[in-house]
Amino acid sequence: MRLELGNIYIKDVQFGDETKVENGVLYVNKEELISIISEDEHLKSVDVELAKPGESIRIMPVKDVIEPRVKVEGKGGIFPGVISKVETVGSGRTNVLKGAAVVTTGKIVGFQEGIIDMTGPGAEYTPFSKLNNVVLVCEPVDGLKQHEHEKAVRMAGLKAAEYLGKAAKNVEPDEVETYEFLPLLKSIEKYPDLPKVAYVLMLQSQGLLHDTYVYGVDAKQILPTLISPTELMDGAIISGNCVSACDKNTTYHHLNNPIIQDLYKKHGKELNFVGVIITNENVYLADKERSSNWAAKLAEYLGVDGVIISQEGFGNPDTDLIMNCKKIEQKGIKTVIVTDEYAGRDGASQSLADADPLANAVVTGGNANEIIELPPMDKVIGHVEPANKIAGGFDGSLKEDGSIVVELQAITGATNELGFNKLTAKGY
Amino acid sequence: MGKILITNNPLVKEQLSKYIVIEYYEIEYLDILKRVRDKIHLGHKLLSHPLSGSVKPNETPYKSIIISKDKGKLDYESLMVIEKSIETAEKFLRNFKTPNWTENILLDFQIIDLSLIKDVVIDRSII
Repeated sequence: MRLELGNIYIKDVQFGDETKVENGVLYVNKEELISIISEDEHLKSVDVELAKPGESIRIMPVKDVIEPRVKVEGKGGIFPGVISKVETVGSGRTNVLKGAAVVTTGKIVGFQEGIIDMTGPGAEYTPFSKLNNVVLVCEPVDGLKQHEHEKAVRMAGLKAAEYLGKAAKNVEPDEVETYEFLPLLKSIEKYPDLPKVAYVLMLQSQGLLHDTYVYGVDAKQILPTLISPTELMDGAIISGNCVSACDKNTTYHHLNNPIIQDLYKKHGKELNFVGVIITNENVYLADKERSSNWAAKLAEYLGVDGVIISQEGFGNPDTDLIMNCKKIEQKGIKTVIVTDEYAGRDGASQSLADADPLANAVVTGGNANEIIELPPMDKVIGHVEPANKIAGGFDGSLKEDGSIVVELQAITGATNELGFNKLTAKGY
Repeated sequence: MGKILITNNPLVKEQLSKYIVIEYYEIEYLDILKRVRDKIHLGHKLLSHPLSGSVKPNETPYKSIIISKDKGKLDYESLMVIEKSIETAEKFLRNFKTPNWTENILLDFQIIDLSLIKDVVIDRSII
C-alpha cells in the first residue's frame, strides 16, 4: 500500500458564502453545514462556531476532534464503514486540511470534562488550541437516551469533517508526504539488516462513551488483527470515546498517530516498521486474556525484534497493557509501553493500576492528577458548567473571578497516551 | 460456570437480575471493591475488571463487578488485581472525595456502569 498525504496548510478559518479553501483560508458556509448536520432526527438544533488560536475562548465539553480529509485518488472514501462504504482504504492520495479541525461538543451526561482553551495557560496543555477549529454545538431532541445522543454527536462530527474535507479535493497541496507499507516478506527483503519493529495499538472498548470503531465495527467485538498504518490515515479507526479527556484518543489522534509518524521517520534507516496490530481493552478478564494472547501471537508471527505498545484510558486498560507487554516479552520480543500517569498531586504515588518487572521500558505522557488554574475566558462555546461538575474538579474549584482549578485530566489531550503532546516525565 | 454480580448500582439490580445472580449492597464504591476482595479470599475468582470504565473512582459512586459463583483455592491473580484496584481507588479518594451529585447525574453514572457490564452479562455466555 502506498498513500500520499497532500497537506494543505490552513492558517485561518472564516464564515463565507461558499465552503472553499483559498490562499490557506478555510471558508465555511455555515447554513449549508448546519443543514447537513441537522438531517439527523435526533438533534433538535445545531450551531456552528469558530475558535482560532489566541482567542479568549473556552470550548467544553469536547467529545471528539476530527481533521477534515478527502480521498483524491485511490479506493474508498474517508471514514470507511461509517461515512463511506466499507472499501479498504490506505492507498492513492488523500488531501488534508492541516491546521483545521472539527470539534464536537455535547452535554451527553451531566458530569463534564473535555476543555480546550484557545489561549492562556490551559492552551499550552492541549494541541487543539493551535488549530483553526470549527465547533459544533449539538442539542438533542427531548428525552434522547445517552447512547443515541453520543452516536448523533459522533456522526455529526464525522459528517462535518467529510463536508469540509471535500473543499480540499481540487486544491493543490502545499506539501505531499508519501507513506509506503510493503507486504511483510518484501519489507524484510528490502531491509534485511534492520531490526523489525511492530506497533500494538490498544483501542478503548468498554461500553457507553468508551468505544472505538474499526471500519464501523465496535472494537469490543474484534479479535486483534493487522492493519496498515496508511488505513488509519484514511480514517479506518474512529473514536466514540468521550470519557477521560486527557488521555483518550480522538479521531484526530488516530488520523495523526505520532507513534506511526515516528516509526515512519526511522523506517529504512534505524528500523524496519513492519506492522500495526490493533487490539481492544474489554472489561471481562477472559477477553483480556484472549486478546493479549492473540496480540502476542501476531507479534511472534511477524517475527519482530521489538514492539511499541500504546494504551488508551485509565484503570481497566492498565491490565491489558501489562498483559500485552508481559506476553510479548515472554516471546523474546523487546517492548516499550506508552501510557500516562495518575500519580497523585505530588506525582509520588503508584502511576498505574498494574505493573510487572518485564515492563521495564516506559514512556509517559505526564501526570493527569497535576493541578492547573484556568483563568476565565471571554467566551465559552458549548455548555458552561459549574466547576464541581467537571471531572478533575472538586469543591472550591470555582473561584470568585470565574477561574477554575482542575486536574490536568479535564483538558482534552493533555496527557495523551500516544505521546501527541508535550508532557512527559524522565527517570534518572 | 456460575457467576455472581456484586453491585451498588440500583439500575444494574433492576435490569440484570433476570440474567445473573446479583448481590446488591447499598455501600460506597470503595466498599464494593473491598467486599469483592473478601470474596476472593473465600475462593471466588474475579471475572471482570474492578476498575472498568475511565470514569474515576472519585467521580462515579457506582461499581459492578462479576466474580465466579464457585469457590476454589485462593486465586492469586484475582487477589493482585483487586488489591491494586483498591490501592488505586484510595489514591484518587485521597485527592478529593466523590462530589454530592444531583439525581440526574447519579442516573448518568448508573447508566454508564450498567453499559460497561451489560454486554458481558447479556450478549455473551463466556467463561
